[in-house]
Amino acid sequence: MTANELKTTTLLAGAATALPHAQAAEAVGDLIARIKSADDLIRGPAWQGAGAAGAAAVKPLAALLTDANFEVARSAKRALYKIIRHADRPGATAEARAVETELVGLLNTSAVPARREALWMLSEIGSDHAIAPMAALLTDTEVREDARCALMRFPGAQATKALKSAFAHAPQEFKYALAESLRQRGVKVDGYPSQRLVPTRQTRVGQPQTN
Amino acid sequence: MPHNMTNHRHRFNRRHFLKVAGTTVGAATVDFPTFIPRSVFAAPGRPGANDRFVIAHIGVGGMGGTHLSNMLRFQKEGKVRIAAVCDCDDNTLEAAYLNTQSQAKPYRDYRYILERKDIDAVLIATPDHWHAVQTVQACQSGKHVYVEKPASVTVRDGQAMVNAARANKVAVQVGAQARTAKGAWQTCRAIRNGIVGRVSKVTCWHYASPADTNPVPDTEPPEGLDWDLWLGPLPWRPFNRRYCPANFRWIMESGGGQIRDRGAHQFSTILWCLDADQQTSFTVDAQGTVPTHGLWDTAVDMRAVFQFKHPDWTLEWGQPGDKVGKTEFGNVFWGDQGHLVLEWEGGYRPANPEAINFQMPPGGKEVYRTDEYEDFNMNHKADWFKSIREGHLRPAVDIEIAHRTATLCNLANLSLMLGRKLVWDGDKQEVVGDAAANRMLSRPQRPPYCL
Repeated sequence: MTANELKTTTLLAGAATALPHAQAAEAVGDLIARIKSADDLIRGPAWQGAGAAGAAAVKPLAALLTDANFEVARSAKRALYKIIRHADRPGATAEARAVETELVGLLNTSAVPARREALWMLSEIGSDHAIAPMAALLTDTEVREDARCALMRFPGAQATKALKSAFAHAPQEFKYALAESLRQRGVKVDGYPSQRLVPTRQTRVGQPQTN
Repeated sequence: MPHNMTNHRHRFNRRHFLKVAGTTVGAATVDFPTFIPRSVFAAPGRPGANDRFVIAHIGVGGMGGTHLSNMLRFQKEGKVRIAAVCDCDDNTLEAAYLNTQSQAKPYRDYRYILERKDIDAVLIATPDHWHAVQTVQACQSGKHVYVEKPASVTVRDGQAMVNAARANKVAVQVGAQARTAKGAWQTCRAIRNGIVGRVSKVTCWHYASPADTNPVPDTEPPEGLDWDLWLGPLPWRPFNRRYCPANFRWIMESGGGQIRDRGAHQFSTILWCLDADQQTSFTVDAQGTVPTHGLWDTAVDMRAVFQFKHPDWTLEWGQPGDKVGKTEFGNVFWGDQGHLVLEWEGGYRPANPEAINFQMPPGGKEVYRTDEYEDFNMNHKADWFKSIREGHLRPAVDIEIAHRTATLCNLANLSLMLGRKLVWDGDKQEVVGDAAANRMLSRPQRPPYCL
């Protein structure tokens, strides 16, 4: 670990907890600069050591999810997952809720990748507070399938209620997926039979050649 | 359904099977029955009572090609009829179809196979993220299943597979072939009968996973590949050449890295050797380094330590670990009276000479192994057929055993991803005191490719 990496790691560890605002901002700024680096040897360790960066780093990292350099975008995504999985450890509820709040904020951004990743990240760290804003994206044609999947990870009645409500108003083509979800959660659904066992794909192998 | 198969399955039931399990041969006690009615066995020129299973292959690339070769040999021996081959890549499918002399019906969509009432059994060799969905659905359509290892990519998927096999009374054999291989068997009987005394630790070594040194952007899928079907239960995303055909192994959500690939083999053999299939609770603590760039996200280097209680022993996965043997991977049983090395998983490599030459002590306990073919890939399938013919439906690597093995692999990867030690309660099938980890025991699936 270089001296700079050590400094950033130490600052990041504090960023999520008790560091003065200026120092925390400096740590996040340094993390973002390193994630944007074209050098793997700088960018790689940056995302791998991002776990402790906490809520303050969520929004700046999410802004990189659409970076033209796909390695930068990928590193930002991986850094975010490091933050989420660190914050969601047992006994760190306050950190987890702070990260959750930032992720919920991302659900309204215009960038589709940011909305999509925020949904999947909330599927890991979200509490019941995240359900309503996530369920709102069940009407968003770009990410509604991600929203449905993400909500499936929430135990309890509130997510089921959100899926049920969405089903009532969903367009026909999305009702099948929602019906599948509801049945998996023990809800009886009339109509929209499961398509799981309905074969649809045809091969050309073994067919007579046509010119 | 082959002639007599249904009746026979019920006539020779599990109760009967267990009743004869105490049969003794010579001085050694045998774990499983060797006394089976002669009529149920097949031999060249003498078809058995339940001969000629009608089978289909789902996934014919990679290991699926080996399965097809095996079945072609069984077909030549009059034991099966290959009715169908299926793959989501027409290029792979065409090669398999031609391999059957154009006799098997080719399909892109496996669900056509599930619809066919004439097919008794399927062999599934698709990428890991498909195993659970296809196995469960095949069970529900009443078909016996041979599915590649690892059994599953999540704990909940594995549980669903076990439940489906039991509810539908079918045999599900998982392709961790060592439990029917000679090398692993010789090691197993030697270890169980004290060659190194009481084993307190087993260490594995395995070469590192690759990193993608040349990441490429997403592109259109190649001609002939049905990318949507390849993804199946996974969330949709654009095609990238770093996913398939074989590279899915290095993606956490589909392949899980070396520990879920070879680990599924090695852990299966180790649990067998230590007679530890019932030790389902443990702690796991994994560390590793993942590639700094590229699509692949499984550990390049990895160390995972599992602690078991009552009896107490430690299982250590090392990637690369401490190489004690001579070949690319293997494991060492450390006992209070020495140690014994097993190269690979005891299938593709022979047992250590000490194990081969091991003399069973008086009162020693023999270990059962199906022994119909020298080729252990053939033998493992023969064991599967045998479990169907005999009606007990519990092949050597029954889905419940394989689910437990896969749980070790899946939880090690989860520990790595979360960066913390996990305490696993095997009875409750949950991580103790870690709600976030428990939420990750399943992964939402994309309809219609879902459980």
